[in-house]
Amino acid sequence: MNSNRQSLWKRIMGVRGMGAALTAFVGLVIIYIAFGLINPTVFSGQNILNLLRSMSKYLLIGIAQSYVLITGNIDLSIGTQVGMSAMISATLMTSGISPAVAILVALISCLAVGVINGYLVGKFKLPPFIATLGTMFVTRGIAYMVNGNRNTDAISTGVGKEVADQFQNFFYYGSTLGVYNTFWIAMVVFVIFFFFLSKTRSGRHIYAIGSNIDAAKLSGVNVVMTTTKAYLVSSVCSCIVGLILCAQAGMGNMEAGNMYEMYGVAAGVIGGVSPLGGTGILLGTLAGAAVWQTLENGLNMIGAQVGIQRLVIGIIVVTAVLLDVVVRNGEFGKKKKKQS
Amino acid sequence: MKDIIVSMENISKSFPGVKALDNVKFELCSGEVMALLGENGAGKSTLMKILSGVYTRDGGRLEIFGKEYGDLTPKQAQEAGVAIIHQELNMCKHLSVAENMFLGRELSGRFALDNAGMEAKAREVLDDLKIDIDPRQTVGDLPVSKQQMVEIAKALSINARILIMDEPTSALTAREIEDLFRIIHKLKDDGCGIVYISHRLEELQHIVDRVTIMRDGQYITSMDFAGTPMDQIITHMVGREIKEKFPRVECEKGKKVFEVKNLNAGRMVRDINFSVYEGEIVGFAGLMGAGRTETTRAIFGADPKESGEIYVDGKEVKIHCPMDAIRNGVVLAPEDRKKDGLCTKLSIRHNLALPNLDMLCNKLGAVSSKKESELCGKAVKNLKIKTPNVEIDSGNLSGGNQQKVVVGKWLARDSRVVIFDEPTRGIDVGAKVEIYNLMNELKQQGIAVMFVSSEMPEVMGIADRIVVMCDGRITGEVMARETTQSEILTLATSFEDKNINSR
Repeated sequence: MNSNRQSLWKRIMGVRGMGAALTAFVGLVIIYIAFGLINPTVFSGQNILNLLRSMSKYLLIGIAQSYVLITGNIDLSIGTQVGMSAMISATLMTSGISPAVAILVALISCLAVGVINGYLVGKFKLPPFIATLGTMFVTRGIAYMVNGNRNTDAISTGVGKEVADQFQNFFYYGSTLGVYNTFWIAMVVFVIFFFFLSKTRSGRHIYAIGSNIDAAKLSGVNVVMTTTKAYLVSSVCSCIVGLILCAQAGMGNMEAGNMYEMYGVAAGVIGGVSPLGGTGILLGTLAGAAVWQTLENGLNMIGAQVGIQRLVIGIIVVTAVLLDVVVRNGEFGKKKKKQS
Repeated sequence: MKDIIVSMENISKSFPGVKALDNVKFELCSGEVMALLGENGAGKSTLMKILSGVYTRDGGRLEIFGKEYGDLTPKQAQEAGVAIIHQELNMCKHLSVAENMFLGRELSGRFALDNAGMEAKAREVLDDLKIDIDPRQTVGDLPVSKQQMVEIAKALSINARILIMDEPTSALTAREIEDLFRIIHKLKDDGCGIVYISHRLEELQHIVDRVTIMRDGQYITSMDFAGTPMDQIITHMVGREIKEKFPRVECEKGKKVFEVKNLNAGRMVRDINFSVYEGEIVGFAGLMGAGRTETTRAIFGADPKESGEIYVDGKEVKIHCPMDAIRNGVVLAPEDRKKDGLCTKLSIRHNLALPNLDMLCNKLGAVSSKKESELCGKAVKNLKIKTPNVEIDSGNLSGGNQQKVVVGKWLARDSRVVIFDEPTRGIDVGAKVEIYNLMNELKQQGIAVMFVSSEMPEVMGIADRIVVMCDGRITGEVMARETTQSEILTLATSFEDKNINSR
């Protein structure tokens, strides 16, 4: 019995990236209890529900960015795809088009951006920073243009109050089994993409190209397809977050999702996803998103101002990576030596 | 019963400016180990890259297992049974052993990958080779030797019948080499054909059946290994007489300028002792990876050293970083011009000024453009750098002129020791002679010149004394005019006796 348990523990710890993910979870628990001791409202049921809901957005963004980071690239267009998705769906709904169609159009638009990102980076070998910087501006431009450079009216003016409520409840305000729907949506997405990344061939290839793109290519991995798949996952998650923001506001906001791509990097990195590619698991991203939201929530509850919140987040991100460097003396610290 | 499994005829391949392979032929039989020998740049790796589909050939016939191939892709080569064990290991170090072995052809169930199945299969292959590695282990955590075993296992798991091993023992210890040879013997008995590229001639006797020798991109000969004296092999490898002319200048040998005592820095720099006198050029010969570049970097303070004393003009100097070296008059023109020698995106002017800014600044700490122009003008004139002006990007210059800029950086200072690491690599003949002349000029000025080169004729033609290195140690010192290429090559391949036991 004892040895059985030990081997299970060993197996769990044998999963690559699990160490960093668990460390983030431990940090999460410590932070949560610490805030709770200062202000017991942190432990209240309603606060936990709010926390789960706000965490969900960052989890989705984190998944989006983690996929791309694991391939050794970055996606700067996540936040603007969120904005584009929110604006497109809201604009369509204000003109009376059903939410289902609006969602579909938003999704297709984001997927198109994902394909473009994937091809620019995977096929044409553009530096991902530049390629997605370009699509970042383009998608934000589209977000501005779809409704003529202004935010949309309330979506209920187009589709009617009843449909609008349905849409808003489905993505944000409604609950299932006592927990906000937003959380369940994020969980479904998380499970699907967790499975996709850790258990499928495509997922394996995503790790492989992030680890050693040449070796992957010589082993017959299709680099263009794999890169594109990672960017597509990123786009799907961004689109869903856009819909959530649209539902939350009940309208489209042109600036929705501003800076989200960076929040995604932070969630991933806190959870042990290497910005150099090849390592990290989504469980870590989950922990990272939770750490982030718990911090923000906790700092709010103890009355800290936005400035302090940002400052603390910044320190946490750098500390997380620094720990990684110090503990493993891994790839950041080491320099490859040349042979004569 | 031995069948011919690879047959290559009249293979040619050119790269811009270089004819890498010229009508080369190559043949491999099943159940044999074929050593492919030749000096650096003889075209061995290029030939093998053509066989494995990494390069496409310009011309010639290629047959694998009796089937003729046109333009071979890496995938086709793999399917035909060709696998290459790369010199620099090509693995995803974040993935596990089993994951690497099955990369690109993963086994999968209906929904998910069949990890258990892949691990079991990987274990089977590893057990079959009697390699003790857990397939679940992360490759990056394994020692290099084990990683190499994994590469071999990976090749076998895709049913490779033709294995190309490029310098497989360079990073292994004696025990690990024994393991590798055991595996090679086993593969041979199973009927695989193995191409074995190595500079360590003394280890060939344990495994090799036949040798093919190449030189300067051409096929020289092949023969049975047994019964062929080593001297004959070396003669075939070296072959040519020194044809090119080298402008040697005679100088009176003066007092000792530079001395290195007991220098140690990692595995590639072990107990290095040498000195350079006024009026002489000391050449450093050896094969690639012999530790010469590491030695120059350790002297210059670019890499940390474990121990060692350095004397300039009889006085001991402490060098902890390149700044210390420069202050003491020891300068280095590094091997990789574009990476270490120049800021290719900066102008010639900025490159020339970079290490001399301390001398170019006025009292306020601003760079005096007048002094800078003077310095640049002098360098361009003295070194005959061919450029319309000094404002153009140094990366746009030809290789020879880039090299002159690298050297020019240092000549404004009163250097006592100038170290050239492969200064003529990749530059044309005319520019080479100018570099030789420059070295001769320095020599005449009484500056100690240390000249590292892998091209034996130029070391023998330019240097006065030659220090030969092998595997991080100095294995000999010869006078350039009294030695032969064979003698140097013998010294350059005298690896430490690793007590390899054949089966």
